[in-house]
Amino acid sequence: MANREGMVRKTDATERMTHWILAGSFLFALFTGLGMMFHHWSIIPTILGGYYAVKWMHIFSGVVFGISLIAVIIMWWEDAGKFVEGDGKWILRAGGYLWDVKDMPPSGKFNAGQKIFFWFVVVFGILLVITGLIMINVLAFPVVVARWAYMLHAMSVFVLASFLMVHIYLGTIGNPGTLQAMLYGWVTREWAQFHCPRWLEEHDNKAQAKQE
Amino acid sequence: MAEYIKLIDITKCTGCRACQVACKQWNGLPAENTTFTGSYQNPPDLSYNTWTLIRFDEIDVEGNIKWLMRHDACMHCEDPACVKVCPSPGALVKTPEGAVVHNPKYCIGCKACMIACPFNVPRYSPEKDEIAKCTLCYDRITDGKRPACVTACPTGCLDFGPKDKMIKKARARAEEVGGYIYPNNPKYETHVLYVLPKGVDMKAYSHLNPDPKMPATVLWWKNLFKPFTLLGMGGVAGLAALHYLIKGPHEVEEKPSKGGDADGE
Ligand code: SF4
Ligand code: SF4
Repeated sequence: MANREGMVRKTDATERMTHWILAGSFLFALFTGLGMMFHHWSIIPTILGGYYAVKWMHIFSGVVFGISLIAVIIMWWEDAGKFVEGDGKWILRAGGYLWDVKDMPPSGKFNAGQKIFFWFVVVFGILLVITGLIMINVLAFPVVVARWAYMLHAMSVFVLASFLMVHIYLGTIGNPGTLQAMLYGWVTREWAQFHCPRWLEEHDNKAQAKQE
Repeated sequence: MAEYIKLIDITKCTGCRACQVACKQWNGLPAENTTFTGSYQNPPDLSYNTWTLIRFDEIDVEGNIKWLMRHDACMHCEDPACVKVCPSPGALVKTPEGAVVHNPKYCIGCKACMIACPFNVPRYSPEKDEIAKCTLCYDRITDGKRPACVTACPTGCLDFGPKDKMIKKARARAEEVGGYIYPNNPKYETHVLYVLPKGVDMKAYSHLNPDPKMPATVLWWKNLFKPFTLLGMGGVAGLAALHYLIKGPHEVEEKPSKGGDADGE
């Protein structure tokens, strides 16, 4: 693996691909789902080949979402699933996004905000997949369960789609220099020192140990 | 366009099933192979090819068996739960006459209507991957005719006519027999009304929902989370834009760096 002057590699190719399969399948399922939910957006089913085709595309992208969700949970459980000391402080200071904070607790690979997003994706993503699976074979379930499934599916979409907008903003223009971590993986050392100093330290220690 | 109502005066039903046959005939629905199950109930339930049937129930009245017969089909709701949840425009349509009509051409077989319907009416065909149900003979009533079942009914149990007239008739008949009108929920009106007799517990009628209404889960889904999804996405995007304009991006504070990455991993 080639080195880049003044840069560190934040993510490996597996992480990036898994992330984008998850993101892509969610966005496509969202797109087709909104197309079926809002009748004045019939343009979506029209370009995709009709409502019947869209039903199957929605189911298919949902299955891909479910599989990549499991992969993401396994992959990032250690780094994003576990809250550590300092995360509470980070949350109380809103990550330094809303007012000026001098002493931000140093974050690891993922900061507390990203961990919260991870947990929202895990909880509501699993809810989406389970209710979606129920809806595929809905007649096999008692009507109460089936009715709740439709409602919880819609609720989870509301939560995740809204949170997704925060994620997109903070991953792109809200934090210059961040998007590349998910595109080709490399970020500047300054970026890493600023956003995830604890991770950078561990990373450097590991690299040193390897060299010795 | 006049609104219509189908009136079912249970007290006059003899269980002859002429309505069942007439429905099959007019709508070109094939008969079903059924087996005897110890009851006069036949066929056992509504199906993709059976849009109306007589529900038979036996109850014990002071040691004597009493038969209950009830003509069951789509209730043609005023604000139908099935239409509210249907994802495919045109698959289920509420018509100005009050009939709720399905169109197999547009149905995508998602079965959402079956789950939402408070009267458990639409039925699914796995082969066709679509649903079917009573249409109130929309092709007949728009041609000035009465639904096939009403035409066939020999006892006057079934009647069909303008909304006001049928409501008046139902009230008069309910008073006459000391019975009551079903359904009786001003918040969930239907274009099919029953006159049920006195002295029989409503629960004795199988498959009769004692409290028909729009399911709460459908209201949460369609009236709350549906608009909330757009409001949430738009609202959060708007707040992000405001944050960008007011606070600006979260720029990295320059600090002396330790030099290049050693091994890239
Ligand atoms: S009875 Fe069921 S299928 Fe018929 S109009 Fe009402 S909700 Fe729709
Ligand atoms: S099964 Fe057909 S009619 Fe029923 S909600 Fe789905 S698309 Fe609409």
